[in-house]
Amino acid sequence: MKQFRKILKFELNNYAKNKAFVGVTIFLMVVIAIVMFFPRIIALFESGDISDTTADLPVMLVKADDPAGTDMVREIFATSFTDYDVQITAEEISVIKNKITSGDVQCAFVMNGATSFTYYVDDLSMYDMNPDIATGVLQQIYQMNAMINGGMSPEDAAGVMSIQIDGEVESLGKDQMQNFFYTYIMIFALYMVILLYGQMVAMSVAAEKSSRAMELLITSAKPINMMFGKVLAACMAGLIQLVAIFGSALVFYNVNKSYWGDNGIIDSIFNIPPELFVYMLVFFLLGFLIYAFLYGAISSTVSKLEDINTAVQPVTFLFLFGFMVVMFSMGSGNVDNLLMQVSSYIPFTSPMAMFTRIAMSTVPWYEIAISICILVASTFGIGILSAKIYRVGVLMYGTSPKIGNIIKAVWKA
Amino acid sequence: MILELKNIEKSFGEKKVLTGVTFKAEGGKAFGLLGRNGAGKTTSIRILMDVFPANSGEVLIDGQPIDYNKIGIGYLPEERGLYPKKVIIDQLTYFAELKGMSRKAAVESIDYWLERLGMAEYRNKRLDTLSKGNQQKIQLITALAHNPDIIILDEPFSGLDPVNAMLLKDVVKEQIAKGKIVLFSSHQMSYIEEFCDSIAILNNGVVALHGDLHDIKRDYPRDRLVVKTEVPEAIIADFGSSCTVMESGDLLIRLADSSEKKATMTRLVENYDIDEVKVFEPSLNDIFVEHAGNATVEV
Repeated sequence: MKQFRKILKFELNNYAKNKAFVGVTIFLMVVIAIVMFFPRIIALFESGDISDTTADLPVMLVKADDPAGTDMVREIFATSFTDYDVQITAEEISVIKNKITSGDVQCAFVMNGATSFTYYVDDLSMYDMNPDIATGVLQQIYQMNAMINGGMSPEDAAGVMSIQIDGEVESLGKDQMQNFFYTYIMIFALYMVILLYGQMVAMSVAAEKSSRAMELLITSAKPINMMFGKVLAACMAGLIQLVAIFGSALVFYNVNKSYWGDNGIIDSIFNIPPELFVYMLVFFLLGFLIYAFLYGAISSTVSKLEDINTAVQPVTFLFLFGFMVVMFSMGSGNVDNLLMQVSSYIPFTSPMAMFTRIAMSTVPWYEIAISICILVASTFGIGILSAKIYRVGVLMYGTSPKIGNIIKAVWKA
Repeated sequence: MILELKNIEKSFGEKKVLTGVTFKAEGGKAFGLLGRNGAGKTTSIRILMDVFPANSGEVLIDGQPIDYNKIGIGYLPEERGLYPKKVIIDQLTYFAELKGMSRKAAVESIDYWLERLGMAEYRNKRLDTLSKGNQQKIQLITALAHNPDIIILDEPFSGLDPVNAMLLKDVVKEQIAKGKIVLFSSHQMSYIEEFCDSIAILNNGVVALHGDLHDIKRDYPRDRLVVKTEVPEAIIADFGSSCTVMESGDLLIRLADSSEKKATMTRLVENYDIDEVKVFEPSLNDIFVEHAGNATVEV
C-alpha cells in the first residue's frame, strides 16, 4: 500500500510538472472565462448608445397598391418586423431596386394585389425568413379585411386575429431537451478525457519501457501497484483538470449570471439534478479506469514509442463505437433503442450508454444497479488482468507480440 | 548469509530456458555468474528477484525460502536506464522509496553515495545532461542506496573509464567487506577473476561448472609447464611435439603425466638458460571457453 501511494504521488507529480498539461488547463480556463464574461463585455459596449437604437435599423420598404389601407399595412409590418425601420413608399420598382443594390435600403416588399407580393433583397441569406413572415402578415390583413367587410368591427376582428392559446407541456419522465446539453457535454468530456489520458498512460508506460527504466522498476515495485498507481494518477489528474475547467465555468457563470438572462441552454447545463451528477461521476470514473487499464496494458507490450498508436487502435475503435452509438441515439431522440439497451450492460460502452439513458429517459433502478455492478466488477477484473499483462509485457522486447501470445503468457504467468 | 538457488526450472512457452539450475553464493564473498549471451543469466537473476516465478525449484536464504520483505536486493541491470528527463535526486529518491525507505533516510543515503562517487555536483541536474559513465554511476546508486543484503551487478564495468572502474572496484570491495552477497554477471573475465571467490558457468540453461574458483583451477591436471626463456629454439628441438609456443611467447610443455613434473623442471633448469618455469593454471577465460564454448551442447 505504501508502495502504491509512492507511485501514485510520483505519477501525479509528473502531471503537475508537465508544462503542456498545466498550460492546456490554464488556457481552457481562460477561454471559459472569456465566454462567460462575454455578455457582460457586450453590455459594456452597448450601454453608451442606448438612446439611438432605432436609428441604425436597416430600412425595409413596403409598396402597397391600395393607398387607403397603407396605415394598417405599415402598422402590421412594423409589429411583425421589429428589426427593421419599415417605411411605406410609392416609388417605381426600378427606383426601389436601385436603392437596394446601392445599400440604402436592405429589402423591399411590393404588393401585387391582396394575396401576392414580390420580395426584393440584395443577397438572399440562407436563413432569411422575411418572405414567410410577410406571407403570414398578408394572410392576417386579408382575413381582417374579410371580417370587417362581413360586418365585424375592426376591434372585434383584431381581437379574433390576436387570440392567445395557452398550452402547457408536462413531461412525466425526463425532459430530453432539458437534459440533452449536459448529457452531450458529459459524453464529450468523457470522450476527450479517455482518449487524451488513455494516450498519456500508454505513453508513460512505453516511455519507461523504451528508456529501460522498466528494468529497474519491475524489480523495485509490484506490477499491480505500478498499474493501479499510474492509472489512478491519470484519473486524478483528469478529474482535477475537469474540476478546474468546469469549476471555473460555474464560478464565472455565477459572477455574470445577471448578464446571461434567461438562456435556457446555459441554465440547464448549470442546473444538473444532484442524483444525475452522482451518476455522472460514477460512470465517468469507471469508464475512465476501464479504458486507462486497457491502454496501459497494451502499451506495455510495445517496444518502441512509435508503435503505440497502432497497438492501441483496437481499444480506440471499441471506444469510438460506443461513442457513435450514443451520439446517434441522442440525435435520433430514441435513447432506449435495442442497441443502447445492450450497450448499457457491456462494460466498455455502458459508462456512456447507461448514463445517457438515465439522463434522457426513464430507466428502472435495478437496470442501473445491474449495469453498475457489471461495470465495477469488470473494472477490477480488467485492472488485475492488465497488471498481469503489464508484468509479462514489459519484459518483452522486439516486435510487438500477437494478442494470442500475450494471452498465453499471461495464462502461464 | 547464504543465498541458494535450487533446481530452478523455467520455460517460456515451448522454450526451456533454465534446467535444474543450482548454485550457492555466500555473504562476504563475491560470486560470478557467467555464461554466453542467452545462456539464462538474466532469467536466473529475474527469478532470484521475484520478477516472475520459476516453474519449479526454490530460492533459499540460509536454507529458508527467501522473504522479499526482509531481504533487500540491489540491482544494476545490464540494460541501463532511468528517467532521462527527471532531476537526479528526485528519481533516486523515488527508487529508494519504492524499496521501502523513508524519504528522509533515502535522501540521506543518496547524498552519501553522490558524495562517495564524486557526483554531488549533479544532484539537482537532469539525468540526460550527464555523460554515459556518469549516468552509470547514478544507476549504481539505485542498486546501493537502500543498503541491500544482496547486490546484483550485471556488467558493472562496461562503459566506465579506468578511474571510475577503480572507484567501482573500491565500492564493491567495501560492500563485500561488509558481509554482503555480491553477485557479478559479466563477460569481462579479468574482473570476475579479480573479485570472485566462486563462480557458476551457465550454458544453455544448465550449470556447466560451479564452485570455488581456486578449487576449480586446482582441479585441472597439473601436467603442463609454462617456460620463460631466451633460448626457446633449443628447448623446442629437445622436447619436439610436446612443446608449443603460447601467445605470450612463452613455451608450453605438455607432460605425459603430472608425476614427471619435478624431473622435467630439474632437467630444464639444469640444461637451459631459464628465466621462469611454473605449472600451467588455466585462466578463467580458458575455463569459460572450455565450458561455455560449445553453444550446441545438448541439454
